[in-house]
Amino acid sequence: MSEKITISFTINGDKETREAAVGQTLLSFIRDELHLTGTKSGCEIGECGACTVLLNGKPVNSCLVLAVELDGKELVTIEALSKNGKLDKLQQTFIDHAAFQCGYCTPGMIISAKALLERKPNPSDEDINEALSGNLCRCGAYQEIRAAIKDAAKK
Amino acid sequence: MLSYEYIKTGDLQEAFKLLESREHVYPLAGGTDLIVGMRGGKFVPELILDLKDIEEFKVLTEDNKGITIGALVTLNEICQFKPVVDNIPILAEGCHSVGSYMIRNRATIAGNICNASPAADTSAPLYCLDAVVNIIGSGGSRTVPVDEFFNGPGQNALNKGELVQSVTVLKPYPEGKGVYFKASRTGSVDLATVGVAVQSWGDRVKVAVGAVAPTPVRALSVENAVNEYGEKDWSKAAALVNNDISPITDLRGSREYRYHIVEVLVRRGLEQTMGV
Repeated sequence: MSEKITISFTINGDKETREAAVGQTLLSFIRDELHLTGTKSGCEIGECGACTVLLNGKPVNSCLVLAVELDGKELVTIEALSKNGKLDKLQQTFIDHAAFQCGYCTPGMIISAKALLERKPNPSDEDINEALSGNLCRCGAYQEIRAAIKDAAKK
Repeated sequence: MLSYEYIKTGDLQEAFKLLESREHVYPLAGGTDLIVGMRGGKFVPELILDLKDIEEFKVLTEDNKGITIGALVTLNEICQFKPVVDNIPILAEGCHSVGSYMIRNRATIAGNICNASPAADTSAPLYCLDAVVNIIGSGGSRTVPVDEFFNGPGQNALNKGELVQSVTVLKPYPEGKGVYFKASRTGSVDLATVGVAVQSWGDRVKVAVGAVAPTPVRALSVENAVNEYGEKDWSKAAALVNNDISPITDLRGSREYRYHIVEVLVRRGLEQTMGV
């Protein structure tokens, strides 16, 4: 069994102290220890983006981060976006534009898009392509995803 | 679940001791190659040494010597660093073509060269810029040219107990345009099938190619034809790249395809940097 280390961090605004196994990825820690299953597990080698989370405000593949690296950092997952039952504007525009079919990539897409809108409130197509370069949608909803992000930028 | 020890230290001397304390110690900076390699069984660490608290590795500066990029600086930070964008945009292009935006938020240039893939996207630009690698260990510091840092696929010039502290692109910067072209199967998140960097220095040119030999290589036959013999027919000059490479067939492309595409990209690079 893998050694455990105590880590302190902020998860979706709340301070937490937990034990994390050194052999565990951040993705596994989020899903299996924090029980936040909105973050999806896809390829687990950084190619699909389903596991995208914000680490200190920046989008990263949580499958390529060790859980113990979370110590002292701020983590935001898809669960943080809706407040008191009200959807975040990106979640709403994804619904409005039907920017998904199966929905598996959607949490990662929305997290990447949220980080994009924070650094570029009025993104161009090129900005969106760049920001979502690591988020794959195998249903091929890319046109609708781009439209949803542009729509959210106006709101 | 993977099994290994994990230690994070901000103290360089302690890091050197830990590096020598066991046979299989893997330094962790961005982790984007390390974690994929561990999952695939390519790397089996006894100890993971997390370097992210080492202040000496966080430097990103321009001074009278040139531009120095610390081992912990991410590729996205390099792409946005104004002295890089203004003076050596070919390096920003190389950094930008690695992985995806999320990968580049973690991945580092030191990791990219230490992993020593012949396809490393930052390598061909670094070869064209005559960059140097600053190495530090318990025995002191040393500096090696980047083309002596790559020893073969996955093999770099580090001795046991040494770390890459930073990469420096020395002044004078090139006077002229530089381009990096990457042929890959998908628009992002794929290694280069072929990577080509072409940098003009006034009326001279430097050309480096990746993924067509055991290490990235300078296309010296092409450079020689242009710089020494005044070849202006870029098709003829580009065809000489075949003398400098020894590509293999793998899942990203056949040997023959690599011979073809590298020539096309070198010609295109010469056209775009040296004028049609």
